[in-house]
Order: sequence, then structure tokens, then C-alpha cells
Amino acid sequence: MHTTKILLAGLSLLALTTAASAADVRISGWGGAEVALVNGLITDVLADELKAADITVKYEPVDGDFSQFITNALSAGTAPDLFYTDIFWSRAAFGTGKVEATTNDTSPFAPNLIAAFTYDGKVMALPKDFNTLALQYNKDIFDDAGVAYPTDDETWATLQDKLIAIHAKLPDVNGLCVVPDYARFAAFALGSGWEPFNADGKTVLDDNFKRAFAWYTGLVKAGAAVAAADVGEGWTGGCFSKELTAVAIEGAWIIGAIRDGAPNLNWGTARIPKDPTSGQAGNLIFTVGWTVNADSKVKDAAQKVAELLTSEKAQQWVLEQGLALPSRSALVDNAWLKGDTPEQTVNRVVFAGLQDGNVEPFFFGDLGGAWMEPINTALNSVLTGEADVDTALAAAQAKYDGMAPQKK
Amino acid sequence: MNHRQRDHVVGYLFVLPFLISLGTFFLYAAVRTVLFSFTDYNLFNTPAFVGLGNYVAMLRDSMFTLALSNTLAFSLIVTVAQTIGALLLAVQVNGVIQARGFWRTVFYLPSIMSSAAMTLIFLWLFQRQGLMTELVQFVVNSRWYIAAFIGIAVAIQLALVVNARRTYDGVSFADPVFATIGVAVAAVAVYALRLGAVLPIYNEEFLISWLNTQARILFLPQTLWSVALMNVFTTVPTLMLLFLAGLQSIPIALYEAAELDGAGKFRQLLYVTIPSLAPVTFAVVTLGIIGTLQMFDQVAILGDAAPLQSRITLAFYIYANAFPEGAASRIGMSSAAAILLGVLTLIIVYLQRALGISDKVDR
Repeated sequence: MHTTKILLAGLSLLALTTAASAADVRISGWGGAEVALVNGLITDVLADELKAADITVKYEPVDGDFSQFITNALSAGTAPDLFYTDIFWSRAAFGTGKVEATTNDTSPFAPNLIAAFTYDGKVMALPKDFNTLALQYNKDIFDDAGVAYPTDDETWATLQDKLIAIHAKLPDVNGLCVVPDYARFAAFALGSGWEPFNADGKTVLDDNFKRAFAWYTGLVKAGAAVAAADVGEGWTGGCFSKELTAVAIEGAWIIGAIRDGAPNLNWGTARIPKDPTSGQAGNLIFTVGWTVNADSKVKDAAQKVAELLTSEKAQQWVLEQGLALPSRSALVDNAWLKGDTPEQTVNRVVFAGLQDGNVEPFFFGDLGGAWMEPINTALNSVLTGEADVDTALAAAQAKYDGMAPQKK
Repeated sequence: MNHRQRDHVVGYLFVLPFLISLGTFFLYAAVRTVLFSFTDYNLFNTPAFVGLGNYVAMLRDSMFTLALSNTLAFSLIVTVAQTIGALLLAVQVNGVIQARGFWRTVFYLPSIMSSAAMTLIFLWLFQRQGLMTELVQFVVNSRWYIAAFIGIAVAIQLALVVNARRTYDGVSFADPVFATIGVAVAAVAVYALRLGAVLPIYNEEFLISWLNTQARILFLPQTLWSVALMNVFTTVPTLMLLFLAGLQSIPIALYEAAELDGAGKFRQLLYVTIPSLAPVTFAVVTLGIIGTLQMFDQVAILGDAAPLQSRITLAFYIYANAFPEGAASRIGMSSAAAILLGVLTLIIVYLQRALGISDKVDR
């Protein structure tokens, strides 16, 4: 009897101590610049809150293809407790059945972003930031050519005229580097009023799409642009930071490239130009969210960490570093965004891009990246001069007709 | 245990580590792949048996037929080119008397670099207005001068050789001393012609899409022709070493006998060297076939620099189905394609052995 009492006392003490020990949460995201960002959040900004919740967080960055890593890890059962999900491959991740819906309150977040991460009626990831496309311009080049800066009310026609004027005045400089990539062309395709999937879930390249396509690919012949590959660059930001072009079409991520490659560049940002026919501009939402692993042993702690990492305090800090845009609606009117530095301007314009006329999240249902391939091939064949607009679009439409319909 | 049994046991113990790794990473993986090829596995569901569904879907997929034709054509061209190239290079290096080690090293350098690094460099060289295009531009624009140079050099060489043959025996048409004289005189002559602007020189500008194009030449996309060029450049040196080793084992007596019978250098190559090298050639061709049928890294690194249908090979098709961008993995299709590639390789190697170059020396 006496021994049993001692044993029971000992066991309950043990139980108490195990309940009081900290939860270790493994989180994972991309490597590179993200490492400093996330570690700054964990060790600096959120240190007190994490200590109060008795959680230790370890960030395990992954360099290289993150979606491949997470697919393998989820399948093998070694995935971290909380990890990034990019909207682009989110369907593939949510469809595995190995992720858990968020238990946090989603009302403070921007509705488009929450909708983008909703799968089967449940919100599967908490959006941590987002990006859209905007028009960056090199103020010095515009001044040298004597052309007015692009405004927020530009149309495709007025922008083309400005770029032609610049190239005529400064033959070494091109207006824009065009890339055969839907991830940039969508700003114009969507602005024309075209929708990627019709009511039946099929893709139809209608007259609106053709109008945008003809304009975009015609920029080179008109003297307003040059194909990026012809100047040895892979993206519009690369040409822009090397001052090969007057404008670029990128999101706020261009800040990093300019800081590294052209820190003294004098640049500004304007909204994506509108289609003169439809009167609207299009845009894409690129967003990343925090997702909880359904097989995690510390699910509650992971949900709490996700909540802390997307809290107002965390997002304000990240915003002021100029590194990403907050996903919380309350921060739209943030004082930092009202500033005049190039970083503040581009972030403000990118934020406003959420309200563009025709905005779609950058993902394509179950087909993933393969959906973009016919459009990219069509753009490429016209830009390299191997096909004309009609032939290229007919070939792309044939491929879309062969694809399975997507549920909206 | 007696002595012989202990020997057996020791033998097995020595092979055991290799057997374990072979069993795990090859046998187990191969059996699993065959099993998966008959299911609809996507890494997360419980695999459900679909019979030959994956194979049928694969054969109906236009990307698969494209990948298959690209792979077969690529393999044929590159294997033939690199075998002939390596053999000729080995014979040349073997015939050098002085500084043979230096020449061997210099010719071997392209193989040292990683294929990923080489692909990136070639991506830059193969731009539309890049170095390769400039080279072609130069050759086409100055074709009259290049023709004149070659013509004058060859003419002088021929004249000197014929003249020498009237007096001496055994003067080769490729005599190096006469060749040097011929080249030097031709250089001076062409320089004089250029000064006097005697022959036309053109100023055409070219834009050749080496990689970023959907054009096809014969039965292979233009992109893969460029990749083949790069592949041959980087693998010929390794194969040259194999041929060099083989050349050392040919008895000199055979060459002396041939010379006594009146065979010149070229006939010696054709009737002594090549037949004696049959085992090495068999190894080189087999390695070449296996390697080129599985070509993947250049396609993956090219990425968006070329349209998918111009660069897809079977190995990349397998990868693209296992890890599609932003979609669920199609392991069933991927496994079916992998099994097919393995069987295809076996068949081609066997056919080559039965109908082509044998591995026995034919004296």
C-alpha cells in the first residue's frame, strides 16, 4: 500500500513535468534570403510570445525545388510540422490528405487570399504574404528621352507609344523585355476580359485573348520591346536592373534584385496599364501560406506558431523590411506604405494591384504548371518568328481542347 | 567446415556488401517499379490495380511518342558520332611521338567538367546572337577567303608531295613538313588577297535559334542537334582513353606485316587497327547506347530555354510524370515509362551485339 502510494505520487509528478515541457515545432520554407527573414521573426520579433507559449521553433530551409521536397517528405512521413505552401502547387499539397485545415481565425486576412487557399470548403493554409504585378520604370531613362513617366492610368496604347518614343530617342535602350511566360503575360490577358476557365471548366482562347496576345507579341516589331532571351536575360527584372530597358513587369520581389544589382537605380512604380477596349487591367496573385502537417505530433503548437508568424506584429516588421506584403486587411492603410521611397512605392502599388479589374490567383487546379505550357509555347513561337499569331493560337487551342475540364 | 567450404563462405562474405546494395537499390526498387506500373499510385493514396491502363495511356500520349522518337534518334546520332570521333582522336594521339602525355591531357579536358556546368556554358554560347552564331556568320561571310585558303594550301601540299615522290619512297600525302609550308604560304597569299580586296566579303547578319526553336532537322529537333553537339564534345575524350588503352595491346608485328604488304596508313587503320579493337569498340558502343538512351541532365538544365517538345527525352518524360509542376505525381505512368525504357535499352544492346559490332576480335 505504502509502495503503491509512492509509485502513484512519482508517476503523477512525472506526468506534471512532461506536461510542462516545451513543444518543439519544426518549420520549413525556402532558403536564400528567407532564412534571415524567418530566423529574425523567430529569435527577435516573436521571441517573447513564443516563450510565453513555451514553444521552441526551428527553421529548416530547403534550397532547390521546395514542392518536390515537400511531396517526398509528406509521402515518407518526415515532413516538418509547419511548412510553406505556394499557391502554385497548393492543390497538389492539399490533395494529398496529409495537411490539416487551419484552426485560426481567418477573418482578419484579405478575402482573395483566404479564397485562394480554400480547398473543399476548408481553409488549408494561413496566407503569410502576397505579391501582384506592377510596372516598374527607370526615371533616369525616361528623363533622358524626354518622355513623361507612366501613370496609374496608362493604357496599352499609351504605354506602347511611350516605349517607342524612348527606343527612338535612345537606340541602345529598349522599352521592355518581353518573356514568353504566362506568369507575366496574364496581366494583359486577364485585363482584356478573358477568363482562364469558362463555365464548363475548359480553356477557350477567345477574341479578347487574341487581342492581348497580338498586342504583347507585337511590341517587338513595333520597336517598343525586345525578347528577353535576345539580350541574354531570363526575366524582365534582369533587363531592368541592368538598365537595358526602361520598364519591367514584376512584383515587389524586384526590390531584392535591384538592391543587389543596381543599388543606385532611380526607379518608380505604376499600376499595370489597362486594356483600352475593356477599360480594365488584369493581375495575378502570388501568395504563400503556412500549412500544418496532419501527421504532426505537435499540431496545436504548430497552429499557434502559424498564428504568431502571421500576426500583425510579425507582418508589420516584414513590411518595414520591404520584403513582403502583409496578408492582413488591417494593414492596407499602414503608414509605412504611404512613404515615397522606391520600395514603399512598389509595395503600395502591388498592394493596390489586388483591386485591379480582373485578378486571378496564380494556380491552375489539378493540372498545375502544365496548363501554362500551350500559351507559353504559342508566345515563344511568335516571338522567335516561327509562327504567326493565328497559327500559334490554333495550336494552343488544340492542346487545351485535349485537356480535362477543371473544376472552378 | 573444411577448407573448400570455408573458401565459399569467405567468397560470399566478400560479395555480401555489394549484394546488399544491389538487392536494395536495384532488385527491390525494380520489383516495386514493375508493381507500381500496374497501379494508379500518386505517392499518397493506396495503390489500386489498373492493369495495363498506364501502358495504354502512355502509348496514346503524344508526348511519349515524341520522347521515344527523340531518344532513339539522339542515341543513334550521338553514339555513331562519338565512337568514330573517339577512335580517330585515339589513333591521332597514339601516333604522336613527342609530348604524348600533354596532348592526351589537353584532349581529355572537356570530359572533366561537370555536365551541368557545360550545359550552362553552352546555353550562353548557343544564344540567338551568341558566339556560335557569330562563328557561323564569320564562316559564311568570308567563304571566298576560306575557300581560297584551303584551296591554296591543298594545292601546294599536293605539288610538294608529288614532287617528292618522284625521288623518294613512302612520302605520305599528309606529310607534316609540307603541310606546314602549304599552310604558311596559303596564309600569306590570303592576306595579300584581302589587302587587295580581290575576293568578295559579305556582311550578312544571322539570327540562328540553336536551342529555342520548334524546327526539326531530319528526324531530330534542332534543339537536340545542338545538345548532341555538346554531348559528343564532352564524351569523346573519355571514350578516347578507352580506345587508347586498346591500341596499346595491338602487336606491332601486325603493322609491320601490313606495311611489308604495301598497305598505307589508311588501309592499316581499316584492316589492322579497327578489327583488333573490336572488344573495345563493343564496350564503347554499348556504353554509348546506354548513356544516350538515358540522357536527362541536359534536358532538365535547358529548362525554359527551349520548348518542351524540342527537348523531351524518355528519361525526362519519366521525371515529368513523377514530379509534375504543381500537380499530383503520376507514379503509375512514370513507372510504366521507366520499365519501358529499361526493356528498350536491353533490346537495343542485344540487337547491337547480335547484328553489329561483336565483342570478339576478328583476325
